[in-house]
Amino acid sequence: MKVTIKDLTKKFASRDKTGEMVTAVDTLSAEFESGKLIALLGPSGCGKSTMLNMLSGILPVTSGKIYFDDVDVTDLSPDKREVGLVFQNYALYPHMTVLENICFPLKIKKVPKAERIEKAVEIAKMVHIEDYLKRLPKELSGGQQQRVAIARALVKKPKLLLLDEPLSNLDAKLRVEMREEIRRIQRESGVTTVFVTHDQEEATSISDYILLMKLGVMQQFSATREIYNNPGNLFVADFIGNPTINQIHGTYTADGIKADGCDELIPCAIKANEGDRVVFAVRPEAVIFENEKNTVNATVNDLYSSGKDWLVNFMIGDTDLRGYCDADFNVSEGSKIKVGFKEKGAFLFNEATGERY
Amino acid sequence: MAVREKKVRKYKDSDEKITARSLITPFVFSLPFMIGLLIFTVYPFIRAVLLSFMEDYRFLSGKFSGYGLGNYTAIFSDPNFINALKSTTKYVLIVVPTSLVISILVAVGLNNVKKLQGLFQTAYFLPMVTSATAVGMIFRWLYDYDYGLFNYFIGFLGIDKIHWLADVKYTMASICIYGIWSMLPFTIILLLAGLQNIDPIYYTAARADGAKSKDIFFNITIPLLAPTIILTSIVNVMSAFKVYDSLFVLYGAKPGPAFNLYTVIYYLYDQFWNKNKLGYAAASAMILFVIIALFTLLQNLITRKTNYYN
Ligand SMILES: Nc1ncnc2c1ncn2[C@@H]1O[C@H](COP(=O)(O)OP(=O)(O)O)[C@@H](O)[C@H]1O
Ligand SMILES: [Mg+2]
Repeated sequence: MKVTIKDLTKKFASRDKTGEMVTAVDTLSAEFESGKLIALLGPSGCGKSTMLNMLSGILPVTSGKIYFDDVDVTDLSPDKREVGLVFQNYALYPHMTVLENICFPLKIKKVPKAERIEKAVEIAKMVHIEDYLKRLPKELSGGQQQRVAIARALVKKPKLLLLDEPLSNLDAKLRVEMREEIRRIQRESGVTTVFVTHDQEEATSISDYILLMKLGVMQQFSATREIYNNPGNLFVADFIGNPTINQIHGTYTADGIKADGCDELIPCAIKANEGDRVVFAVRPEAVIFENEKNTVNATVNDLYSSGKDWLVNFMIGDTDLRGYCDADFNVSEGSKIKVGFKEKGAFLFNEATGERY
Repeated sequence: MAVREKKVRKYKDSDEKITARSLITPFVFSLPFMIGLLIFTVYPFIRAVLLSFMEDYRFLSGKFSGYGLGNYTAIFSDPNFINALKSTTKYVLIVVPTSLVISILVAVGLNNVKKLQGLFQTAYFLPMVTSATAVGMIFRWLYDYDYGLFNYFIGFLGIDKIHWLADVKYTMASICIYGIWSMLPFTIILLLAGLQNIDPIYYTAARADGAKSKDIFFNITIPLLAPTIILTSIVNVMSAFKVYDSLFVLYGAKPGPAFNLYTVIYYLYDQFWNKNKLGYAAASAMILFVIIALFTLLQNLITRKTNYYN
């Protein structure tokens, strides 16, 4: 099912009783393609849960519209929207067994008992929880509870699956395992899925599209690879990618960027206005360690082994930067080296507005 | 290393060995309470058990003919005692479920309207802090034949006026209404506390699962409140078995207008103060004790079954 959001806005009366309104989601428009997995990404408090709860119908919208396959569902209650919702702490009903939990949405729909058990078992098999049907939630591990929560959300064959930070209560190893599971389950069921997370790595590893938010405002909505390769503004470039993107503050000149605390000009193929304050942002993998032209002097601070490469921490002027070099590149702490930057993976932003040139 | 060990020990003082010396401080602190408990609870209890088996006990001389089951056989052949057991049981079966249902509805209502809670807190606390004499006066007025509110209301429903306090047919109804009313505040407060312990995420989850308010009430609220419901009903059963104050308040210390409604505690009181049959009083107390002890056991068994969390 295709989901279209138009100028969606949610305002809350501020919690600190000042009577002011907080805009949790600000005139957000986007279109989610059918059958895709969309990650709703952003720092904590940026309005991801608010957005999800408006999609599910739990939270009424302040203004704007939500369409499911071109049908306006903005004012429909959750039971009429055919959405499945998975919570961060799973919210399994503690007094019901796994089977009863999975059956609950069907019981509410008055599906006959035999039929709902059959459907529940089928879904339980899909999420690999069929051996635990008789247990109570308290007798399950976090990962198992998560599987049950997903099964409960999927059993009524929703047109839209919504997951609110479903992995953040799991330990690191299980988190990686479960996100692959969610990906598999999503592929198998083909349900359009919105996955909320504040972890950019989780978002990039699982999703087809990423919608990145900041303070309720959409920063960028594009295919997962695209958002990395082509960030629309400095916030996006900074938020996506690990290690984070290198940022060199300086002043733009036609001959290169005059970086703060550095005498040399850094060559830059991107055009800006003479004298603009800019941020030259370079992905660590776009740093080249070489001795040819277009190179800038730098000093090595530190070296970390990262498998086959070294992660090199170096300084240009006052700026700390990172890049990868081959294991046979002969440097050590304090070495004077020359570095250059590839065009792919290097971006220029306005320092004040964060806008990309 | 030595430093670290010291630190560890500091946080583990609950594991310290219990020695005679380490017990002195807690013992001294609890002594006043212990003495009170011994004098006012343990000793009278043992005396009462013994008393219930003493035959032909004379209060003034303290003489008795010997130990035996005489008091028990006597009260079980006393129609007033049988009447008392029957009426008390009937009272419990009416008052406890009715007040529970009303309390659940009120508590769920209060839990939903956060803004009115302050106002209601006063309203439903009132019965708890109002003196029995004042309540008695109010209820006698409520039950009044000519001017009472109850007759005024049933007048609306087209029912003939009732002699609430004078007609023996309505003695049970009158004390039950009074009993239900006086049971509400305590029950509502406990249930409200239980409701506030339910994580609202379950309601949200149920809404997302498509449940409506009615589904949520029966499938989520009631089962999750079950531990509290069981606790309050058992506590209420126990207190309802001990009913006697309504007889004092409504009928001026008489068991109904025509001595027609004995309760177990009233019977006990009557045997003790009016008839001077201390042995009968003690034996009826023992019977009540056994009944209440059984309910306590039952409560323990059931609460263990409704532990959904760890
Ligand atoms: N019920 C509410 N009342 C008032 N403010 C709220 C409420 N829910 C969320 N907010 C505010 O809206 C903003 C977005 O919250 P949320 O959507 O939960 O963020 P996220 O899920 O991205 O961490 C926050 O500033 C939060 O304090
Ligand atoms: Mg959130």
